Amino acid sequence: MSKPHYDREHHAKMATGVGDPQCFAGKAPDPKFKVGDKVRVRDLPDLFYTRTQAYTRGCEAVVAELVYESPPAEDESWDNTENVEWFYSLIFKATDLWPDYHDTFSKDSIETEIPEHYLEAV
Amino acid sequence: MSSSTRQKVLRHLDICKQIQPALHQETHAPSPDMMDNEHIRAYQRSPHDIGGEPDIPITWEEKEEEVWEHNTFVTCEVLAWRGVWNAEERRRRQNVEIGETMYLGLPYYGRWLMTAAKILVDKQYVTLTELQEKMDEIRKRYE
Repeated sequence: MSKPHYDREHHAKMATGVGDPQCFAGKAPDPKFKVGDKVRVRDLPDLFYTRTQAYTRGCEAVVAELVYESPPAEDESWDNTENVEWFYSLIFKATDLWPDYHDTFSKDSIETEIPEHYLEAV
Repeated sequence: MSSSTRQKVLRHLDICKQIQPALHQETHAPSPDMMDNEHIRAYQRSPHDIGGEPDIPITWEEKEEEVWEHNTFVTCEVLAWRGVWNAEERRRRQNVEIGETMYLGLPYYGRWLMTAAKILVDKQYVTLTELQEKMDEIRKRYE
């Protein structure tokens, strides 16, 4: 068995002097959603790695901003950087996320970033 | 779909809390017929995804960073610069693959340091034997 030889610096070379996720700018397909759209978070398997919080799954939210383009964490963490997608800043109502959230704070919201493939149109 | 998914997700968060590693004795290695899908999902979830699990409040304390913590940070950044990992792989390793017991039990930069050692072994920059011998050599300096 021989040791694998990767181009271990390909990511560093891409990001040096530019930054990450800036080095992925312009590499995603057109965004599927726009500011103000209502979306729902898919309940994908939690297998091995994700940064899409479990407490958001199946919950509806409104797109607040298209923040940047990047490979999703599930891919990038194994250095798979070919499939770049838009990340969205989403606003969830606290009362949608937590069933026993107190009425006094019913206007509370949570804003968090989630990649496009986790989202479906409502 | 939403309401049943939401019920499932919220119940999932409750179960995750129940399987947090504890110091008291627990049942280990259950027989297959003792496993259900809810528990298999709970075991699969990343230990860093703790949002929404029931817990008690903890005290917020400001702390100055120590020299070993700065050194650990720099080491990890240099590993990225030299292409050993990217930031996302580092996070996956130090937040998830380190395992729930160490995730909850080690200081923040302790997880960084443990992971820096692990990546060098995993990607064959050093052998585990070399690392163990070096650690033993250094430990002896302080005896």
